[in-house]
Order: sequence, then C-alpha cells, then structure tokens
Amino acid sequence: MSGTQDQAGIELQGAGLTIRGRVILSDLTLTLTEARIGIVGRNGSGKTSLLRLIAGLVAATAGSVQVDGVDPARDRKTMLSRLGILFQNPDHQILMPTVAEELTFGLRQMGRADAETVARAALSAEGRSHWADQPVSTLSHGQKQWLCLMSVLLMNPATILLDEPFAALDLPTEARLTRRLAALPQRLITISHAPAAVASCDRVIWLECGRVRADGPATPVLAEFTEAMARLGADDADADLSA
Amino acid sequence: MERSLSHIALFAALIAVLGFVPQIMLPFGVPITAQSLGIMLCGTVLGAKRGALAVLLFLALVAIGLPLLSGGRGGLGVFASPTVGFLIGFPVAAFVAGLIVERSRASIGLAAGIGALVGGVIMLYAFGIPGLALMLDKTLPEAALMITAFLPGDLIKVVLAALITQGIARMRPDALLSRA
Amino acid sequence: MLTLTSPRETPLHGWPAGVKLAGLCLFTLALFQLTAPLWLVGVAVALALGHLALGRDIAAAGFGLLRPLWPFALIVTVWHLILHDPSGGAVILLRMGSAVAAANLVTMTTRLSDMLAVLMRLVAPLSRLGLPGDRIALAVALVIRFIPVLSDRIALIRSAWFARSLRPPGWRLLVPAALAALDEAEHVAESLRARGGAG
Ligand SMILES: Nc1ncnc2c1ncn2[C@@H]1O[C@H](COP(=O)(O)OP(=O)(O)O)[C@@H](O)[C@H]1O
Ligand SMILES: [Mg+2]
Repeated sequence: MSGTQDQAGIELQGAGLTIRGRVILSDLTLTLTEARIGIVGRNGSGKTSLLRLIAGLVAATAGSVQVDGVDPARDRKTMLSRLGILFQNPDHQILMPTVAEELTFGLRQMGRADAETVARAALSAEGRSHWADQPVSTLSHGQKQWLCLMSVLLMNPATILLDEPFAALDLPTEARLTRRLAALPQRLITISHAPAAVASCDRVIWLECGRVRADGPATPVLAEFTEAMARLGADDADADLSA
Repeated sequence: MERSLSHIALFAALIAVLGFVPQIMLPFGVPITAQSLGIMLCGTVLGAKRGALAVLLFLALVAIGLPLLSGGRGGLGVFASPTVGFLIGFPVAAFVAGLIVERSRASIGLAAGIGALVGGVIMLYAFGIPGLALMLDKTLPEAALMITAFLPGDLIKVVLAALITQGIARMRPDALLSRA
Repeated sequence: MLTLTSPRETPLHGWPAGVKLAGLCLFTLALFQLTAPLWLVGVAVALALGHLALGRDIAAAGFGLLRPLWPFALIVTVWHLILHDPSGGAVILLRMGSAVAAANLVTMTTRLSDMLAVLMRLVAPLSRLGLPGDRIALAVALVIRFIPVLSDRIALIRSAWFARSLRPPGWRLLVPAALAALDEAEHVAESLRARGGAG
C-alpha cells in the first residue's frame, strides 16, 4: 500500500484545473494535515472545484494531487475508505429510492456483506428506525442532508469534504449539524462563503479566482476576508453584475 | 461508465415523467402525448445505444408493474394488448433515430428530424402495424388503416423532436451524447 | 412508488413469480389457438369468476385495467358488424380481453420485488455480454429515485413559465425538461463516482 504514515494527508503540488480552455484553478501548492480546515471565497472562486479535485472527481490538468500518497482520480477503490464528500445539494448525492437503500449503497460498493445490518443499526442508534423504508422524496432538505452525512459516515472515511453544508438549513438544523460535525473524529474540510461557519477551524484558506489569496490560522485570514467582502459589498459597481 | 449508466437511467425516468405531464395541445386542438416524444429524444439526444437502453429500461419497469405508460397504464397487460407492436418498436425507434443523428453530417436539427421520422415513425409503424394485425386478426393494410388517424400527430412530433433537439444543442452543446 | 400490485395479499401473491409468468405464457399461447367462440366465452367467464374469487377489489381493479382497450373494442365491433361477421368479431374481442386480463392478474398479484427478482434471473445471461445484473438493479433503483425528482423539476419549470406568461408552455416545456434530465445525469454520475458505484 502506498499510503504510509509519512505521506498521510492531502498534498497538492502546483495543481491546476482547466476546463475547455478556461482556467478554473491554478498553481495550488498545499499540504493539508490539520483536523479542521476551512475554505472560503466568493461565489465562483473555485471552492467546489477544489473539493472535486481533492476528492478525485476530476483529474488535475496541471501538477499533482495526492491523498495519503495516492492519486484520488486514479485509485477510486482506495479513496472510498479515505475520503467522503458531502455535496452542496443533497439531491445531487442521493442515489437510491429509500433511506435504507441509500445508507447501504456505499457499504455495498466497499464489498461489505453486512451492509443492511449496519445501516439498520445506525438508523436505530439515531432513533430513526421508522425511516428505513421511507422514500427519500418525502424527506425535508435538512433530513436529506442528515441522510447524506450518515451514508458517508457509515463508510468511515479518514477525511470528509463538506461543500457549503449549512447553505440551505434553518438555524436549529444548522446548530444540530454543527454540533454533530464538531464531535466527529475525522478530518473535516469545510467550504463556505460565510466566515462564521469556519471560524473554529485550525486553518482557513481563502480562494480568489482559483488561487490561494490567504492561508493561515482562522482569525487573521477571516478578518482580512470579511473586510475585503465588506468593501466589495459597499461598492455599487460590482464587476459581476455589470460585466 | 458512470455517465452512460446515469444518462440511461435519467432518460428512462424522463420518459416516465413525460407520461404524467398534461397532454400537449397543438394549435388546432389536437392533443399529443409527450411520452412518445420522449422516446424519440432518447435516440436523438443520447445516441443509438444509450437511447435504446434507456427505452428498454423504461419498458422493463412497466413490465414489472409500474404504471408508467401515459394514461397510467402498465403491468404485463400492456404487452398482451393490441399495441404491443409499438412497445416492441420503441427501443428500435430510439436506436434508429440515434444512429441517424450519430452518422449524419447534417445540422443537428435536420439530422434529428430525419432520425425521428425514420426511427420514430417508419420503424415504429413497421413494428406496430404487424402487431396490431396479429392481435386483432386483420391484414396488414387493414391494420395500417386503423392507425392512419395518428399519422398527422406523429409527423408533428417529428418536427417537435427536431426543434427540441436543436434547442438542447443550442443551450448545452456538449450535453448531446449523440454528437459527442 | 405506486405499483399496480394489489396491496391486499391474495392467495396468488404467495405463488412463485416465475411459475405465474410461465403459466401466463402458456395460457396466452393456448388462447391464440382457440377459435371457437364458445370456448373463448368459457375462458372469459372463468377469468371473471377467478377475479371475483380473489376479491371484489381485485375484480374492480382488473376491470379498470381493461378500460384502455375500449377504442379497439369499438373499432373491431363496428368493423365486424359492417362485414356481417359478429362471431369473428366476438372471437377477437374475447381473446384480446382475456389475454390482457390474465396478464394484469399476474401483475396485480405479484410484488414488485418478486418481479424484479425474475427480471434479474432473465437478464443474468447478459452478464457475459458485459452487462452485469447489479448494474441493471442499480439502473432500476435510479429510475425509481429520479422519477419524483424530475417530476418536481418539471413542475417548477411550469410554474416559472406561468409566472411570466399567460399561455401554456406546450412543447417548449420539453427543452428545459430534457436539460433537467441531462443535468441530473451528470450529478448522478458524479455521486456514483464519489461513492464507488458503477466503477
Ligand atoms: N464543469 C465546468 N465547466 C466549466 N466551468 C466550470 C465548471 N465547473 C465550474 N466551472 C466554473 O469555475 C468557476 C468556479 O466554480 P466553483 O468551483 O463552483 O466555485 P464556488 O464553489 O467557489 O462557487 C466558476 O466560474 C464556474 O463557472
Ligand atoms: Mg460551490
């Protein structure tokens, strides 16, 4: 196995992504080993693209990406136990018609014969056994997101990538999810356009136009980010709207 | 591989959903069902192989008991009814329509129109009419006579399939797997 | 998802689906050999009594499922009356009705999961052609999952249309509807890739 101890972590070396001639990410050199990492940036700055690159859903067009010493775009099988990803929109993630089938899906892909038992046990541990055979279309947005998180957690990956996990949640649901995530032993990489969501992270990376604008402890990076966003907001001539 | 599978499944779902949308009223008061347009689009958008597989998947779900054919029909009974020939012709129609779009150098709209005509009308009738003749104990010309009333509607669908495929090509050029 | 299977269990629900389907094939083949009107009347009566024996609900649902046949019944009736061949017409109508009713009876008394299991057994030989059964099972699940999703998307597109137009969208609805299906397909492909499906 190539994932030895000294290679543990996510390593980008001059990584870039160009799609149909358009540069989306460029020149990213990062070593991600902290337990809680936040990624902030404006809409379209490349946050989701970076997450997809790390998860191996797209291959880098320049440089290299390694997760525990493995190329995530190549070795999908290994990645299943290393990386889980929570998509921004749970409807884009859920594949199966019922809750139990959705929970067992990933486990079956990993070749687990006990998928059904594990999934039902997890549901009952959460006090939601009655959900098992419910169609996913009857769940609310927050419930769907919970289902996606459970499906990822059952596969027990070392790192979980979260794309704007709070974007469409009401406040109580957000608070519950925050507590839940804080208690997880996994490494979490959280994307958000809202500074508050990543304020407690060990490290925050600010992306701008597909490049790293700032990188460091949460407090200074977020202070700088918030100030820049406020300045842009005060400016009437938004380049995005007038272009 | 994932993309093939997901496109086949989503277009099978699209055919089903088009069976629930209200009938489309044409200007002179002729209603047409969107579902058969969906069959044509499977071919013109996904191409021959994926289009035919999407239709087959849809028919498999109908056969195992889901009421997904327009009008809420489904189950094994529809495969014992006089229109069974058309059901068998559906995947062939999508395949031929897709093949024509894939092979033709014509503009996407024209190619989709020709594909929909040859696949979605001529090939479909080539299966549907013998089926009707067999199930109702009629000669081929007699069976053909029974469905002439549908021909104008089907020809309009050919034009619509061409327009819709062209619309998709314009809005999302790289989404057309038939021309990928 | 709504199926045509009767939610109330009848004795026929317990029979193996494969046996019912094989029986249906034999029945249909035999039906098409029968040409004597009296025999066909006998078969039709037997089928009707069989439905009633299983319950009024089954009989009513079975009758409802025959309704789409009425245009053909009308055409055949008129046709054979004009030809002065009522018994020829009766043979065709009885055969058509019995074939469809018998097939629907199997559908009404067989659970979706049992039907799916038979389908998997039928397509198993295809795995040698590179189309493994689990791929087909996954595709079936995806369709069932995405029918309500696409349905909602189309309802949204409709309301977006009506919010800004007085005329119904007509065929124009199908462009965004197909685009919605294409978009969802890309999302599904990505999610499958993220979670190791169909690799
Ligand atoms: N598949 C793609 N094809 C073309 N452009 C894309 C694609 N994915 C993302 N982009 C573009 O890349 C930029 C970054 O997008 P994204 O990573 O989604 O940003 P964020 O998540 O920060 O809002 C956007 O301008 C977007 O339009
Ligand atoms: Mg994003």
